[in-house]
Amino acid sequence: MKRRVIAAGIAMTLGLTATACGSDDGSDSGDKATDGKGKTLTVWIMEGTNPDARPFFKEAEKAFQKKTGAKIHVEYQQWATAQKKFTTAIEGGEDQVPDVAEVGTTWVPQFAETGALVDVTDDVKQSGLNDDLVEGLKDAGTLDGKQYGMPWYAGVRSIVYRKDVFEKHKLKAPTTWKELQSAAKTLKDKEPGMIPFPVAGGAEMFATPFIWGAGGELATESGGKWKSGINSPEAVKGIEFYTGLATKDKVSPAKVNTWTEKEVGDAWGKGEVAMSVNGNWTPKAIVEANPDLKGKLAAVPIPGQTGGMSKSFLGGSYLSTFNTDKKDLAWEFVKMLTTGDFAAKWADETNYFPGQNSELKKIEAKKDPLVEPFAKQMLEAGATVPKTKAYGEIQASKVIPGMVQSILTGKSSVQEAADKAAKDMDAIFAKDK
Amino acid sequence: MKDTLVGGGPEEDTTARRRPAAPRPEHEAALRKKKLVGLTRPWLLLAPSLLVLAGLLLWPLIQVGKLSMQDYAVKFGGGVGTYTGFDHYTDLLTSELLWQTVLPNTAFFAIACVGLTVALGTLVALLLNRLGPTWRLICSIAILAAWAMPAVTGTYVWIWLFQPQDGMVSQIAGSMGLIDPETTNWFTERGPFYAIATLNVVHHGFPFVAITVLAGLMTIPKELYEAGELDGANAWQRFWKITVPTIKPVFLVVTILSTIWDFKVFTQIYLMPGGDGANEEVYNLGVFSYIQAFAKNDYGTGAASAVLLTLLLLAITIVYIRTLFRQGEEDL
Repeated sequence: MKRRVIAAGIAMTLGLTATACGSDDGSDSGDKATDGKGKTLTVWIMEGTNPDARPFFKEAEKAFQKKTGAKIHVEYQQWATAQKKFTTAIEGGEDQVPDVAEVGTTWVPQFAETGALVDVTDDVKQSGLNDDLVEGLKDAGTLDGKQYGMPWYAGVRSIVYRKDVFEKHKLKAPTTWKELQSAAKTLKDKEPGMIPFPVAGGAEMFATPFIWGAGGELATESGGKWKSGINSPEAVKGIEFYTGLATKDKVSPAKVNTWTEKEVGDAWGKGEVAMSVNGNWTPKAIVEANPDLKGKLAAVPIPGQTGGMSKSFLGGSYLSTFNTDKKDLAWEFVKMLTTGDFAAKWADETNYFPGQNSELKKIEAKKDPLVEPFAKQMLEAGATVPKTKAYGEIQASKVIPGMVQSILTGKSSVQEAADKAAKDMDAIFAKDK
Repeated sequence: MKDTLVGGGPEEDTTARRRPAAPRPEHEAALRKKKLVGLTRPWLLLAPSLLVLAGLLLWPLIQVGKLSMQDYAVKFGGGVGTYTGFDHYTDLLTSELLWQTVLPNTAFFAIACVGLTVALGTLVALLLNRLGPTWRLICSIAILAAWAMPAVTGTYVWIWLFQPQDGMVSQIAGSMGLIDPETTNWFTERGPFYAIATLNVVHHGFPFVAITVLAGLMTIPKELYEAGELDGANAWQRFWKITVPTIKPVFLVVTILSTIWDFKVFTQIYLMPGGDGANEEVYNLGVFSYIQAFAKNDYGTGAASAVLLTLLLLAITIVYIRTLFRQGEEDL
């Protein structure tokens, strides 16, 4: 009950701010769209991707004002609560949504379905940007041939390990699942104070590479209908290997059963982890938290079962424009941020990958050993989750973490847990059709 | 407390007695006017707060009730609801998860929390009542600090203490040989999970009980205890025969409020590892409703479970209030 009242309160506050921001742009609606004199764009940006995004946007504001005369008003949002805030604003309509917003790729289907996002397919083609976009990332935000925004940056997870520890025990970076397993087991014997390979129960994207790597799928589509594939023999084999690292090989202690990626990151910072699945944005943060680890980290793509690579989730953010009366001006701002200097600067500051091939190539050319393996993973073995609103709901209701945790705690067998997860997923798919 | 609840009684009696003494016709009109004023004035005085309450509570309540009978889809500029009648309630009430996990968790947890909160609160109140002014002030400030702590902060502190392997409690238990820290994670099992949540909620809730009961204790005349002592009653008997009956209404009020609070606990569960939906075993009604509405975007089922919680609390409150009023009548 209280929640409703809070939601209403938030909606009202949002409404008030939105009107307050919008109040100084009414008179000149007859002007050419990209002449933004006297107009203000409201922009929502996620907090935490860039350690300090404020100077970056100060600069972007100045440049955009010089170019179009329009002002930019940036509001910073938290990843954890933003999806609900967006939903509330979309419900409120044109007055409450931002003009431009950073939208997580997995949210795009949900927001697009409500009609809030602008289909920019033609604008992208006209600007000649189309061919330069990173395919996997472009695909993530394209539904039924319509692209809902510009890919801004992307991240991918690979394996990060402690070079010093591996060298000390004469271990090689793993290239197959067997090698991964034996390296972890050796580490368990020789480094009792460290976690050889955390099997974090709360981290969905730690488990998915093993499902994909074994040839399984999260869900498959046929005739517009989605069906879960998580209890297929292949997927179960992958889950069995991944959870077996904790339940059989004991290379991940019980405390990790409830960990999310955040706790894994904290443990890295304390120097407790020897090897784990990690995002390409994490090495910098780990070294910042613990300067002693400088030069001691290395990365390698997630190995395939018997060689090659296992696919890993290619996630990222779009800059999308919303259906407001300033959408043309908003598109100008998006273009400015996602191309050229500002795109390069953002990628550099955040340690994420840019959404354009040309920019990505520049980063690859630097041959940084902590960047190259990730770039390889992204370009050759990136995967997306099912592109449907229902999958966002499956993620939000923690179906895969629930499955992994119930195996780790011994409450159900791998097959039982996978069957239950498939049932839960199918129930959500069925509801949304 | 008792005085305010039965306060209307004697006054009405006096006006009723006075009435037959004023039958003179010239006063009839004045009398009628007075009656009208008497009838409308209380409502006029209540109107502002009733309006606020209606706006803040009744309106959302009606909306939630409406939503619970719809399939609701968010759309740009205003969502679309399709009426589905009582479908969500049927689904909900026939779901195994509700009867085997959600309701037992909610009910047993609330009963344990209310019992412990009231017991601990009363003990602390008795202690405070015996202390001198300086120590009473110091102790009050100490317990008020526990009360003033935001639920989020408090929860993180408890999580921290019980953190598997690294938390203080885990390390002590490990060094005493009670558990194997490497293989024990208290947050994944229903029992230990709720034991930790109970500690958290009781710690956060007992100061209110203590302060309220203390206020009640200070109104009990010393003479009653002196008389009891002269009659040879020991401390145990004096507590149950004098203290408890005298401030029973206070106990009823703190119990009602604690029950309401402890049934709708959300933050303290949601923030615990595995409490955010990953572990179905530890769902309570609050978390269940939240997951349905805001994770699965199934606003109808979420609203239906919220209505269920409201009805449950209403039923409990009605029972309490009836007991309270019966108590009042007996005292007359």
